[in-house]
Amino acid sequence: MRKLAIFVMALALVGVLGLGAQRIKAGFIYVGPIGDYGWTHAHDVARRIVDGKYDWLETVYIESVPEGEVETYIDQLVRQGCNVIFTTSFGFMDGTLAAAERYPNVIFAHASGFKRAPNMATYMADFYQVYYLNGLMAGALTKTGKIGYVGAFPIPELKRHISAFTIGVREVNPTATVHVRWIYEWYNPAAAKEATEALIAEGCDVFAFTEDSPTVVQVAAERKFPSFAHYSPMYAFAPDYVVSGQLVHWEEIYDDFLLKIHQGVYTTKNLAHVDYWWLLAQGAAELGAEMGMPINPKYVAPLKGYVVNHPQFGRISVYDLVFLRYNQFADPGITFDPFEGPIYDRKGVLRVPAGMWMSYESLITMEWAAAGIVGPWPGEP
Amino acid sequence: MKRLGPLFLERRLAPPRSVVFGVSFLAVLVALLLAALVFWAYGVSPVRAYSEIGRGTLGTVGGLSDIVRRAIPLILCGVGLTLAFRAQFWNIGAEGQLLAGAVAATGVALFVRVPDGFRLPLMFLAGFGAGAVWAVVPALLRVKLRVNEVISTLMMNYIMAYIVEWLVHGPWKGPTMRGFAYTDMFPVSARLPLIAGTRIHWPTLAVGVLAAVVVALLLSRTRLGYEIRVVGQNPDAARYAGISFASVLALAMVLSGGLAALAGVGEVAGVHWRLRSPGHVSMGYGYTAIIVAWLARGSPIAAVFTALLFGLIFAAGDLMKTTLGLPFQITGVFNGLILFSLISSDLLMYWRVRWAPKEKAWTGQAGL
Repeated sequence: MRKLAIFVMALALVGVLGLGAQRIKAGFIYVGPIGDYGWTHAHDVARRIVDGKYDWLETVYIESVPEGEVETYIDQLVRQGCNVIFTTSFGFMDGTLAAAERYPNVIFAHASGFKRAPNMATYMADFYQVYYLNGLMAGALTKTGKIGYVGAFPIPELKRHISAFTIGVREVNPTATVHVRWIYEWYNPAAAKEATEALIAEGCDVFAFTEDSPTVVQVAAERKFPSFAHYSPMYAFAPDYVVSGQLVHWEEIYDDFLLKIHQGVYTTKNLAHVDYWWLLAQGAAELGAEMGMPINPKYVAPLKGYVVNHPQFGRISVYDLVFLRYNQFADPGITFDPFEGPIYDRKGVLRVPAGMWMSYESLITMEWAAAGIVGPWPGEP
Repeated sequence: MKRLGPLFLERRLAPPRSVVFGVSFLAVLVALLLAALVFWAYGVSPVRAYSEIGRGTLGTVGGLSDIVRRAIPLILCGVGLTLAFRAQFWNIGAEGQLLAGAVAATGVALFVRVPDGFRLPLMFLAGFGAGAVWAVVPALLRVKLRVNEVISTLMMNYIMAYIVEWLVHGPWKGPTMRGFAYTDMFPVSARLPLIAGTRIHWPTLAVGVLAAVVVALLLSRTRLGYEIRVVGQNPDAARYAGISFASVLALAMVLSGGLAALAGVGEVAGVHWRLRSPGHVSMGYGYTAIIVAWLARGSPIAAVFTALLFGLIFAAGDLMKTTLGLPFQITGVFNGLILFSLISSDLLMYWRVRWAPKEKAWTGQAGL
């Protein structure tokens, strides 16, 4: 009788656990406010998309979390019953790792970092291919030969993006230069405005940037200069002057990751080598200033009219070149990379030998500046 | 004195302790009622909001430890500031002094060769020294050049914040941080021990409480304390009594800045284990500590409790974001309401309302 009772209890327990595993409560920890119109906004849009898609999924989020406080907030999410936690800032890395050790039964995923554990994966949607495509267009549109770039922080991610952008510019306009200003903030419209005006004073007439507001687009448009949107759809802010831009689809990664947990593919034991590095081919990045509009129709004619003598493809318009490269990136086998050697940095050092591509490791730790970049470059080797 | 109908408003020179406590308590109550309106307008039942906050902060070990952890830097900065404020030196620079301590501690943690056992004590010493130097500069500027210390201490905060930013982006950027703006992690010998199961770095807490007691004794029982108080209350009398304004002010600021810097040492050695962007090393602790010291009315012991009160306010703000799902701005609104009503309640402490019989009755009496 007693044995039977134990058996029944064990059966009930298995049932409860089995059901429990099917339901996911995912907590998202954001470094900025969800209204920032950039990084955090994009993660939150993605959260809402996956939340609406699956009835076995419930999501909660906390915004504006200081980097040193991430563990406190993870504690609170675990107390609330979250079994999957996403932390979306590099500065959350060590706090997330410590929490992953403390809560071995919770699954963690950390955006943009490099430390993993059996119950902690990493993920990143990267833009360097899109920046290269933007660069091709910028190179065709500049009249002064000077392109302005407002950067947030001189970290490898931005250095990789600006270099890819510059390589694109120079592919169609070998003497053009990209002038960089750093503002040392992810979100600071006032500083972005000042930086843009300084770049205009320097003679720049096309703009790209990394900052979580549409300020650069607006300031450039006031002076009738074309620009490239960053992170969120910014076409509506200057329909006549936004050429294209970079858009993100974090939901592709969240969807894949959560579904695999739901199906039992990912567990708290097997994430030590799970690292998403998703680009155009996986749909995590998109070319354009508006979803589904890779190039503003107003700029199709000037880009078709700018024809270059390409070493590989002969005479080709920049418009065609953009889509040719786009298809090479979108091909599941990816047949081209912006950092295809030979690539020299601006000091003349050979960084990528002829015919070679950069490894993932060297991409995410990149410090050098591609030839054609002008301006301060902290940490330049 | 002012007459308002049958009431007299009288100025009170030194409000008794019971009045200070009573009025402050009422002020917090008023703020909580106002915040309840905000919760209600946002569609959260105020009763549920406060019971969740109460349970999450004071009702769990995790919540309590969070309050204490947030209070640690406020205790050290607050105690230091009471000292400066008693000398009527308006030190707005605790934030920069805290960061100076964090920088010096990081330097010792990462770049100084020293036996493991001496590393943490040396970090605290170096931190104290850096904060003292950073704080004594505005004191000297005031004494020698009559530079207003509110401006100079405030401006030095920005200078130190940019020094930290420059260090983490430049010479101290950690080779293992893959180009991100952080120093490398501190070696284990440079990390403060935590109370098991919490994130309270207890050595800093102990130093803070000890500092409160020592500063209280210093102010009430020593010659330096007496001189600080005299300089604060009447600089002319101090000069007449032969007290050196310059050296008393400098000493007060050495201690004030040094204590704030110890808070910085605690943050990098106990919480972050590295130096990072200034806005993440200190979440404005140096500024909040001004209010901590002000509410403590210049008493270092009271500053320990007002610091804990602010730890509670911070922790309550966190809970509103997490369990109640309110937008993050609500934290600022909540903190602001409490501060606003506490500060405006000051008026009530220094004015007494007295029921006075009508003037007519008085003249009638005179007429007899």
